[in-house]
Amino acid sequence: MRILKKVLATLVAYLWLISAVTVVLVPIAWMIVAAFSKGILLTGVPLIPDPSKFSLEHFEYLFTYMSTSSQTMADYPGAFLRTLSIAVVNTIGVVFFGVITGFVFARLNFIGKKKLLLTMMVLQMFPSFMGMIALFLIFRQFGWLNQPMYLALIYTAGSIPYNTFLVRGFMRNIPKSLDEAAAIDGASNLQILRKILFPLIVPIIGFIAVSAFMAPWLDFMLQNVMLPARDQMTVAVWLYRTTDPFNTMFYNPLTFMAGALLIAIPVMIVQFFMQKYMVYGLTSGAEKG
Amino acid sequence: MKKRTIIDRIKTSFANIKANPDAFKSGLLSVLVPGLGQFRNKQKIKAAVFFGVFILFILIEFATGGYIYLFSELQTYPGDPLYIIRDYGGIFSRGLWGLITLGKVTAQTMYRGNLVSAYNKVIPWLSADNSVTLLGNGLIALVLFSLYVGVWITSVRDAFTSKIAILKSGKVETGKQYIKRIWVEMFPFIILLPTLVMVLFFIVIPFLFSFLLAFTNYTNAVKVPLDLIKWKGFATFTKIASDAGWVKIFLSVIAWTFLYAIMASFTCYVMGMINALVIESRYVKAKKFWRTLLIVPWAIPSMISLMVFRNVFDLNGLANQLLVALKIMGPVSNFLHAVGLQGVVGDPIYWFIIPENGNLAKAVILLVNLWLGAPYFMMLITGVLTTLPKDLYEAAAIDGASAWQSFRRITLPLIIRATLPAIVMTFTFNFNNFGAIYFLTGGGPGWPTAQIPTSMYVSGGVPGQTDILISWIYKLSFNNNAQLYNIAAVYSILIFLFIGFISVYNLSKSKGLWEDD
Repeated sequence: MRILKKVLATLVAYLWLISAVTVVLVPIAWMIVAAFSKGILLTGVPLIPDPSKFSLEHFEYLFTYMSTSSQTMADYPGAFLRTLSIAVVNTIGVVFFGVITGFVFARLNFIGKKKLLLTMMVLQMFPSFMGMIALFLIFRQFGWLNQPMYLALIYTAGSIPYNTFLVRGFMRNIPKSLDEAAAIDGASNLQILRKILFPLIVPIIGFIAVSAFMAPWLDFMLQNVMLPARDQMTVAVWLYRTTDPFNTMFYNPLTFMAGALLIAIPVMIVQFFMQKYMVYGLTSGAEKG
Repeated sequence: MKKRTIIDRIKTSFANIKANPDAFKSGLLSVLVPGLGQFRNKQKIKAAVFFGVFILFILIEFATGGYIYLFSELQTYPGDPLYIIRDYGGIFSRGLWGLITLGKVTAQTMYRGNLVSAYNKVIPWLSADNSVTLLGNGLIALVLFSLYVGVWITSVRDAFTSKIAILKSGKVETGKQYIKRIWVEMFPFIILLPTLVMVLFFIVIPFLFSFLLAFTNYTNAVKVPLDLIKWKGFATFTKIASDAGWVKIFLSVIAWTFLYAIMASFTCYVMGMINALVIESRYVKAKKFWRTLLIVPWAIPSMISLMVFRNVFDLNGLANQLLVALKIMGPVSNFLHAVGLQGVVGDPIYWFIIPENGNLAKAVILLVNLWLGAPYFMMLITGVLTTLPKDLYEAAAIDGASAWQSFRRITLPLIIRATLPAIVMTFTFNFNNFGAIYFLTGGGPGWPTAQIPTSMYVSGGVPGQTDILISWIYKLSFNNNAQLYNIAAVYSILIFLFIGFISVYNLSKSKGLWEDD
């Protein structure tokens, strides 16, 4: 009786897992097959991989198509590099501001600290979308539209309030006696931060750095609004263009699959590689936020 | 410690002033001219610092204004300047003027006997007013001005308190001591300065700007810079609250927003928990293998997954193809109709397209969201499971508890308690989960034509059946035929109030977070 129960439970558990994994993997498999299929019609994508329908035309298109003749680089690689540059600038900015702000709020005392923290707390609750109309109108007025680096500044600024809490929370778990010992030896605040605290907060820095690097690959709204010019397209905007049926000139779901695949693979590698940090940051953020 | 009310505070400060008339004189002098009080207190360096900031403020105002031309131009251009601050004011006065008026002079009109053009390089006041610039500059001026007022107030307070300290101890704090003390006190602010500037310019000012748009008439009917935006008070609020058609659409959008946010969080949570429990159960081997496979959706950028699913549920997409290949299209379509998801039996199924299938589209959105969101909770709950105290279960087993009982009484409460903040966070995230709607259905299918009020067709920015509040706001603001910035701002304020409410709730729950040790 007991053994029967155990066998039954094992069976149910594995059945559950197999069906869950099937549901998870089938759309991904279909996406991969579609990326390597001929034509522009979803009906042309075989449910079971079919060598006669195999084609690399979508990948070829990705690396050769230029929407204007004056470009030096094809649309897709250009968009890719643009998103990459935004991501790199954003990562540097986020780490810089995150470390400094977290340090100040975790270790220093000053007038108005609680009020500032409270303000940050409230600000981190609002999506950056809230100020987007204004950012767009202001940017248009000052001629900052179509400038990827200004967009990176928006990302960086937008993540400051939340990261302040993450870094601060992490630093507060580091005993203050370490700083005090260093202070007695004559270290200044900045030296304490650089030489003693920084090496200890690497896990949380890893998390905010990865999140900052990911942000531009995941966002579409701000990029679409702030970089409206065709030659300033980012990957997200490029991808959306190929999957928007109203955009008859560029609509091609199979090309989309190819382009998406090329983005998804590096992102997945980074995510799995940094999984330790990601899980840590997600849970600590959830517990404290 | 007893909480002090504001009235109590005012009372004590009045008593304080009465008790120290001499210090009050110092304070009063600093009200007149910053630094003068410090001068009276014989703290010369401090006086110089406050006075210097005051002079700097005045200098900036003068240098950025056209004050020096005022008198000569009044003679060369005999027409009366209607708005002296507009024509000759500096960054602060002109900024505040713009904020209050949003501009008065438009292009191609006569002003002071001359034709106004869009941009006049030689005579700045012959350039037309641009309400958006004026509003932006006005907010910047307002923020800088408030900062300066803060310094001024500090100088008054300082004059008052240091006089008391001097009277008490008989010693005057020297300038050197003061500078050293200020350096230590100011150090956090100095290294925070870049952060504060970023937050101010990219979060706070845009936020105030959006907030203020709700009280204007700014839509695509106002062609900036040819026209001027005008303050309208609560006119937009009353307009959309009094139009029955708008209210009806708004209520259905908000109802779906809440339903979506609650259901999306709940389903992901339950699914994540089941997956975590199954993998961590003693019946399953190769736990890491299963976990890695099930985490895959979390590792793919959500925007990409959503657009893939948009194609999966295309008329020719994977879903319909599979149903046909498995020869279950008929039964499934009938079933979806019978349970009320599909309005008309379709073959193939129109997932996101026809108005009758609004419920079907909503169900699909929740399913896709489940695919995307379950791994997060699976990871979270797996983490919690590893920290559960084993002795509790042993004790429960000794007391004869069944597996179900120990799950119901021990595991579940512990998991929920550990993940409650994450649930609240996921809820607020989903409440504003623009991508889940925009990339998947684009808000579609549309409403049956009869349900949309005519005024909404005229103004543009019509939502679809699956639009949540934030994706509707996006349509209201950025659809080319809409650009109803004022209405979008009104709805943004609603989100603001709602999220603000939740954040206050969260704050009250996690006091230890921002209290200092």
